[in-house]
Amino acid sequence: MTPMRAMVIDDSRAMRMILKRIVTKLNFEAVEAGDGQEAMDRLAELTEVPELALIDWNMPNMNGLEFVTKVRADPRLREMTLVMVTTESEQSQIVRALAAGAHEYVIKPFTEGAMIEKLALLGLVPTGANS
Amino acid sequence: MSVEVEVNESDLAEMVEQVWESYLDPEGISPLIPTYDENQPSEVHSSVSITGSWSGHVVYASSRAAAQRAAAAFLAMEMDEVSEEDISDTLGELANIVGGNVKAMLPSGAQLSLPQVVLAPESSARYPNAQRISGVYGIWEGEPVSISMWHSSAENKEEGE
Repeated sequence: MTPMRAMVIDDSRAMRMILKRIVTKLNFEAVEAGDGQEAMDRLAELTEVPELALIDWNMPNMNGLEFVTKVRADPRLREMTLVMVTTESEQSQIVRALAAGAHEYVIKPFTEGAMIEKLALLGLVPTGANS
Repeated sequence: MSVEVEVNESDLAEMVEQVWESYLDPEGISPLIPTYDENQPSEVHSSVSITGSWSGHVVYASSRAAAQRAAAAFLAMEMDEVSEEDISDTLGELANIVGGNVKAMLPSGAQLSLPQVVLAPESSARYPNAQRISGVYGIWEGEPVSISMWHSSAENKEEGE
């Protein structure tokens, strides 16, 4: 069975390593990008679109909200599940991200268990993958 | 214009506890033990600045050994595998996470800067016209760690000039 792919988009290398560790544990193949623009560039190169993107909000060049908006406007990327992973925890920001097309929202700091639960809710990993 | 805001020690302590639970001590065996000593020494620090509805800085400071331990925990590495880049990235992300959560408690319209990391002691000279208003000071695995909040205001600026 072909493993699912996850794109981890964060300008913090440390946070990318944490997210990559979690998704790899869940049998995803991980692709990294340091900002939204780099992620768009990587997506243009990939023949297969990742099933999941974990996206920081505050990044240089292209922020997470802009990335979500661009992905949602591109029919080729329509099937990607988009999860914002950010310190932006104001209600108004969460509403903006969801309105732009994000499927879920995870606020930093998060535990590994909380992230896995979110992915299970989205049907990307089996329920109970955390146990 | 900056408005009055109060993010107290208890709020900061709650954020810090979440950071420890999520990244630095997920097993819950090595908490940050409070010292309440705002003058405890540091060897490295990171900060994010907040501007807009409130102006100031959130600063994470620690000994180098604590920073190395934090990077090892954050990145799931052995202590002797940790590089300077790992320490720098981890310190930046810790300031970013705490700063982002502080920002969420401020009136809307605040913006968070990208983190700055300095592998040198925290110094009030780095935050001219700012006054420390709140902080969590503690010992983690025998090493000093602090997270503090500094407020920049027009009044502080005038006093500093």
